[in-house]
Amino acid sequence: MAAPILRVRNLRTQFSTDQGPVTAVDNVSFDLYPGESLGIVGESGSGKSVTALSILRLVPDPGRTVGGSVLFHEQDLLQVSDEEIREIRGRDIAMIFQDPQSSLNPVLRTGFQIDEAMLAHKQATPRQARTRTIELLRRVRIPAAETRVRDFPHQLSGGMRQRAMIAMGLANSPAILIADEPTTALDVTVQAQILELLGDLNRELGTAIIMITHNMGVVAGLCSRVIVMYAGQIVEQGPVDQIFDQPQHPYTWSLLRSIPRVDAVRHERLRSIEGMAPDLLHPPAGCRFHPRCPFRIEKCLTDEPRLEEIHPGQFASCWVSMDRARAEMNANNLDDISPGAASGLKPGEIIP
Amino acid sequence: MATAAAVVAVRPIEPEQASLWSDAWRRLRRNRFALVASIYLLLLVAVALISTVWTPYRMSAVGITETYAPPTAAHLLGSDELGRDILSRLMVGAQVSLIVGVGTQILVLAVGVPIGLLAGYYRGWLDQIVTFIINVFYGIPDLLVAMILVFILGPSLRNIIIAIVATRWMDMARLVRGQAMSLREREFVEAGRAAGARPIKMLFGHILPNALGPIIVQATLGIPAAILFEAFLSFLGVGVQPPTPSWGSMANEGVMAIQYAPHMVIAPSIALSLTLMAFNFLGDGLRDALDPRSRR
Repeated sequence: MAAPILRVRNLRTQFSTDQGPVTAVDNVSFDLYPGESLGIVGESGSGKSVTALSILRLVPDPGRTVGGSVLFHEQDLLQVSDEEIREIRGRDIAMIFQDPQSSLNPVLRTGFQIDEAMLAHKQATPRQARTRTIELLRRVRIPAAETRVRDFPHQLSGGMRQRAMIAMGLANSPAILIADEPTTALDVTVQAQILELLGDLNRELGTAIIMITHNMGVVAGLCSRVIVMYAGQIVEQGPVDQIFDQPQHPYTWSLLRSIPRVDAVRHERLRSIEGMAPDLLHPPAGCRFHPRCPFRIEKCLTDEPRLEEIHPGQFASCWVSMDRARAEMNANNLDDISPGAASGLKPGEIIP
Repeated sequence: MATAAAVVAVRPIEPEQASLWSDAWRRLRRNRFALVASIYLLLLVAVALISTVWTPYRMSAVGITETYAPPTAAHLLGSDELGRDILSRLMVGAQVSLIVGVGTQILVLAVGVPIGLLAGYYRGWLDQIVTFIINVFYGIPDLLVAMILVFILGPSLRNIIIAIVATRWMDMARLVRGQAMSLREREFVEAGRAAGARPIKMLFGHILPNALGPIIVQATLGIPAAILFEAFLSFLGVGVQPPTPSWGSMANEGVMAIQYAPHMVIAPSIALSLTLMAFNFLGDGLRDALDPRSRR
């Protein structure tokens, strides 16, 4: 495998609050390889967006990246000057956001905003930029690109706006495109089109994509590798096929299990993960998932697990791991997945 | 002149586009008061321009035999204590009022907009300093500030404008600061930063255009306030100095003769009132037209 294009090591980002610091991203490390498409999944508040923002040093106040490194082309993005990181944003690493409705400036023409993405990095003259903008809009399959460049954002549909945002992201042919839930605000048919477009661009242009989403289906459709985050930490990472087939962390297992299925028995209840995401101000001791985990053992309450390679290329941070849960706790036929159900470690019996 | 400010903002948008500005223009035209006010103000501008080359009489031409003359066919609005033609002086006075009104607001924009943008966007210590200065300026009585400044600088038209700006820039700075504060949290600002836009570009290229509506309204409503303030200063005798006529100083002269020549105070007062009303109606019309919540 080629050398990674982006190496994130021990990234820690905290938000200071009146009650004390909240560690939104806790010791996150991963690699991104050239041309790869990496998914980061997790529920709201798991730190996936803040991870992405930390890479580009865009964490909003009162957030601060307090540790770790982000190596891109041998330089640590957390150490370079403000001017250097500004040049890297949009030129080498571009980002597209969740809501295309609000990420385009409502009072400026769409084409002008894409032109600007190039002009900001002195990549082109205004005339060249306009030519390339039209080219890009065609590339992201906006019909009648020549006239659409002159439209204001509100004259475009939601899907077209997101395409325009992608065009803007691609304007400087970045090596990495970070997509922060790019399909969440769109309806399902448009979602599929956008994902297909991102997949094509990933294959044809070789742009590495970091796809941040809470939707396992999006990961399955687009990504080759996936990182699962929970409460600011990576709980599992590995190749998509393997993780979908044999998830090793109970959280991943529960996530996959809670995807509604078309072939489900009628009237079967939707399966959810009981409990709530932990309060990051006072994260639980031991494994952060233990208050919600059906397979927890006593060790989980006190000792923090580390990422370990359970199958080749597949890492999980769990004392039990699903291989054991399947073998010893009958996980595959489990109906009751309330906390501690499979291991018999019920809340009342927990000795702190 | 307020229409001129609006035209500058509207220019980059072509008429065939259904945009914020064309919507606003359509709504403004439907507002009768604002429309009449605009026509009045255009006429006033025309009168002021004409008065630079022609007035019925020379504005300082005295007529010994015609002092305190009531309105006649020869002097449509009568004449004053030196027999000068009031209409001619009123026309020249319009120049003063418009220059003060518009000039003040241009300077207020030049001072208030950048300060407000920087304070609202960067917040932190910069914002604290700016807010402190704004509060200090609000704390000092504006008449006192203006009079002291005019005494120090000398009572010329330019210095009166500076004095009024010194008492009026805070409203604009505060408005723009608030706008920048709320706009900086919008996603397109984050997207712009993620695309590597320079901070200056974000401020003036992205945040400012989104705040133009309220800024235009504020500037338009600031014009009558400035005109009134100048008239007030001139009425007190610390404003525009003779022989240049100002509506304020004309009213002052008229007040002394109010018992036997009331037309001397009535003429400039009506001109002043109409102009203030027109600017206020236009400003209100612009407010309704540019307010996205009042979409009809």
